[in-house]
Amino acid sequence: MRHESDKQPGRFGPPGDAPRVIDQGSVWIMVAAPTLWAIHFVASYVLAATWCAKAGPALSEPRWIIVAMGVVCIALIAWLGMMAVRRYGGVFVIFEEITESSERGRDKFIGHVSLLLCVLSVMAIVFTTLPGFMFSTC
Amino acid sequence: MTQEIDLSKLAPPEPFDEARDKAQRARLMTVWQEPPGWKIITAVNNSHIGKWYLLTSFAFFVFAGILALMIRAQLAVPNNDLFSQQLYNQLFTLHGTAMMFLFAVPIFEAVAILILPEILGARDLPFPRLSAFGYWCFLIGGVFVCGSILFGVAPDGGWFMYTPLSSNTEYSGLGADIWLLGLSFIEVSSIAAAVELIVGVLKCRPPGMRLNLMPLYCWYVLVVAGMILFAFPPLIAGDLLLEMERAFGWAFFDVDRGGDPMLWQHLFWIFGHPEVYIVFLPSIALIATMLPTFAGRPMVGHSWIVLSAIGVAFLSFGLWVHHMFTTGLPEISLSFFSAASEAVAVPTGIQIFCFIATMLVSKLRPSVPMLFAGGALAIFVFGGLTGVMVALVPFDWQAHDSYFVVAHLHYTLIGGMLFPLMAGICYWYPFVTQRAMNDRASRWAFWLMFGGFNLAFLPMHWTGIMGMPRRVWTYDLSDGWAVLNMVSTIGAFVFAAGFAALAANVLWPRGKAPLVARNIWNAGTMEWSGEVPGKPWGARSIPYIHTRYPLWEQPGLVEQIDRGEWFLPDAEEGKRELIVTDILDARPLYVQRVGGPTFLTLGSAFCLGTVFILATFHLWSLALAFGAGFIGFTLWWLWTGTSEIPERPSKPVGRGLTLPTYAQGNRSPGWWAVFITMTGDMTAFMGLVFSYFFYWTALPDFFPVAAQIPALHWLLLGLGGLIVGWLMSVGARRQLGQGARGTAMALLLGAVLAGFAGLGAWAFAAHEAGLDPTVHSFDAMVWMLVLWMGLHLLLNAVMHVYVAARIWADICNPDYRADLMNLTLFTHFLALTAIVIFILLAVFPMLMGAV
Repeated sequence: MRHESDKQPGRFGPPGDAPRVIDQGSVWIMVAAPTLWAIHFVASYVLAATWCAKAGPALSEPRWIIVAMGVVCIALIAWLGMMAVRRYGGVFVIFEEITESSERGRDKFIGHVSLLLCVLSVMAIVFTTLPGFMFSTC
Repeated sequence: MTQEIDLSKLAPPEPFDEARDKAQRARLMTVWQEPPGWKIITAVNNSHIGKWYLLTSFAFFVFAGILALMIRAQLAVPNNDLFSQQLYNQLFTLHGTAMMFLFAVPIFEAVAILILPEILGARDLPFPRLSAFGYWCFLIGGVFVCGSILFGVAPDGGWFMYTPLSSNTEYSGLGADIWLLGLSFIEVSSIAAAVELIVGVLKCRPPGMRLNLMPLYCWYVLVVAGMILFAFPPLIAGDLLLEMERAFGWAFFDVDRGGDPMLWQHLFWIFGHPEVYIVFLPSIALIATMLPTFAGRPMVGHSWIVLSAIGVAFLSFGLWVHHMFTTGLPEISLSFFSAASEAVAVPTGIQIFCFIATMLVSKLRPSVPMLFAGGALAIFVFGGLTGVMVALVPFDWQAHDSYFVVAHLHYTLIGGMLFPLMAGICYWYPFVTQRAMNDRASRWAFWLMFGGFNLAFLPMHWTGIMGMPRRVWTYDLSDGWAVLNMVSTIGAFVFAAGFAALAANVLWPRGKAPLVARNIWNAGTMEWSGEVPGKPWGARSIPYIHTRYPLWEQPGLVEQIDRGEWFLPDAEEGKRELIVTDILDARPLYVQRVGGPTFLTLGSAFCLGTVFILATFHLWSLALAFGAGFIGFTLWWLWTGTSEIPERPSKPVGRGLTLPTYAQGNRSPGWWAVFITMTGDMTAFMGLVFSYFFYWTALPDFFPVAAQIPALHWLLLGLGGLIVGWLMSVGARRQLGQGARGTAMALLLGAVLAGFAGLGAWAFAAHEAGLDPTVHSFDAMVWMLVLWMGLHLLLNAVMHVYVAARIWADICNPDYRADLMNLTLFTHFLALTAIVIFILLAVFPMLMGAV
């Protein structure tokens, strides 16, 4: 198995222990799903704030834009979840005991936590889309 | 090289030799010994800094607690005039400020600095001198802010310093400046500690401690330090804007000049709400660490706790507007934050359920720490439930700024933060002092605190619902709040008596008391492997860890560590050494040498503190002189204590393993520290970007007439200069790698000039357009962005000249060029900042049709 951390820095370039983005053996997959929630949240907030300040009080368009952005983000999170299961061997268990001292064990742990975070992030994104349906005006 | 070691197939340890063991211990002792006598103040070791940090934070806690008792005394009876209204304003402002900035956050850093290296089986954190620097900054800044009340000039605008009360110098005096500058200074030390702790968790784990084996405490430290990095910088940006308005009249918060006071509320609460979780999570981490010990089994749902820590960290950034529900924002905006506030209860609840599950599946050993932990859960759950109530917009409209909120926040903070901390104090007291506390006195303390707390704060729910507003100086008998307030006051004093009992128990001199047994609680985590009596070096040898609870699951480990059978059992070169490992699997990468005791960090912190204090009084030339002193001390510290060329490229560390003694690029902790610090810097910059867009959203006429928009060609020229400067720095790295020292030095110096030329073009563009920062928020914003770049270029210039001098002195050379690599990393961030500023100044106005 190839590991970025195994490489010595090249003659001129800095890399050596640089984490890769979503590839196997990367910690970034853990923060990717909540980051998508954060992006969706900020985008929804900015859209609503700008809309209410510059356009009109009616919310019918922004509501659907927020939902559409939510669907895109949830799709991306679903893809992340699939990566967590397929590449990392993540499982959805309650009594986890992923204490194996091996690269596979570490991958499974990262995959498992990422999977849980995917679920949490989807829930939080759904929460963000709900208000649009509660209010018809700003 | 070292990368493909299978740690489980290491060479067997050498047979034990008493003479060798003695010699090794003597050498380790010489290297790690604390400085004698009064020179102890130069100590940088985590065990000293951690202890001082802890005691100092508690001193500020006691100070703020006394203020609280004064507040309660004032409110005990109606129409009271025990304290003047003016003093009362200072009391509650300083109470909140000191509790949050001088106790709640620093105590996290204190505890982490004290126990994290030991939990990791490490000898120290990767930058011990940085911890020392952070500590001294904290002490100086804290004393300055708190001391102001003795002169009657303490801040009095409430702990969140709302504008325009705080921005208009007619309403707020010196106190607001003290708050802004004193706390900015302390935030610097918090960020320093956060950088240290993140790098510590990521790079200084013992060999073999993969991510899935990392103790929960480390996860929490990582998450919280990361949150500090994203939460504190927006406040620093806000402080900068507010102080520029106060000191120089720049138009940021004044409505008459196109400013908006709401901006402060946003910037403050983008910091302020994550802050609550920054305070809460580390204390919950203490429970998560001690609970398995008393349950006698691993934590149920270890990974679920990791999930909830990360989840809370993210969601807590989507809550800030729930402090602003009554400010008239669109209801749709409010409901996003209401939704997120409800969502955050899910991961928070998961943690609590994991704790309860662990208690249920095991037979919990009763003990004082568990008593405090139980009290903590009870109080916190209550506070969490009222939190779910106030997260609902209509309810909040009723309860906002009433004593209901005071009750809610004290239930969450005292239940979520203070009680777990007290549990931790009782739990780790034997670890720090190697003596036992008096259990009976601790139990008394608990029941007094628990009873007193509920007596004080439970009635506040009713006083709040009955309409008593926060921060009110006094009230009338006819308001009907008198009895409840009297009960609260009695409760507060009972609570204080409980804390006094605990404090006396902790501080009781126990020099002659017997030492405790080793690993007195039979815990599973590494910090309990330390010898009794303790040794200054921490771990006798740094072990290979392959389980989550090494002391339970790796039999014989402690004896192996003691016999020096693991890594770095010696200090032949007379240097303080740590093993740096990789992020995922903790494979050993190299041996890092860290600095020992020094006056330099003290001098550096003293000068920087003086700069902030002098700036409060607008004594600019003196401040400048001390600023030069700060730079001098810091450069001296860096020159003599970092990136030294080792006497040999690698050394044996034991068990047949040989590790390099130098690392550069992203193998070195220094590179990571720069990366993390600059992430924080970018967050502060994002605070400014947010401000820009906030004005654009809130003001219909944010953009002036076309003639007043800075000219595109000058802006483009400026961007060109800055980008050329960046490319020259990157080129210098390449040239040095090829051995061209002269060219590298020339490029570095050229990069400074190119950068300043670029800045000059931007400043000229703003000047030519006739922008005056005291006239309108657009002008002020443009100048602020230019100023931001200018401040960074000053730093950039110092660092470039420093590295050029290192090349000239041959400390930075083609084989050992960590300094230059760290510098280029800094310039990458600088280039990104330049591009974003260019977009804001040139591209965005064009897109919006203002040009």
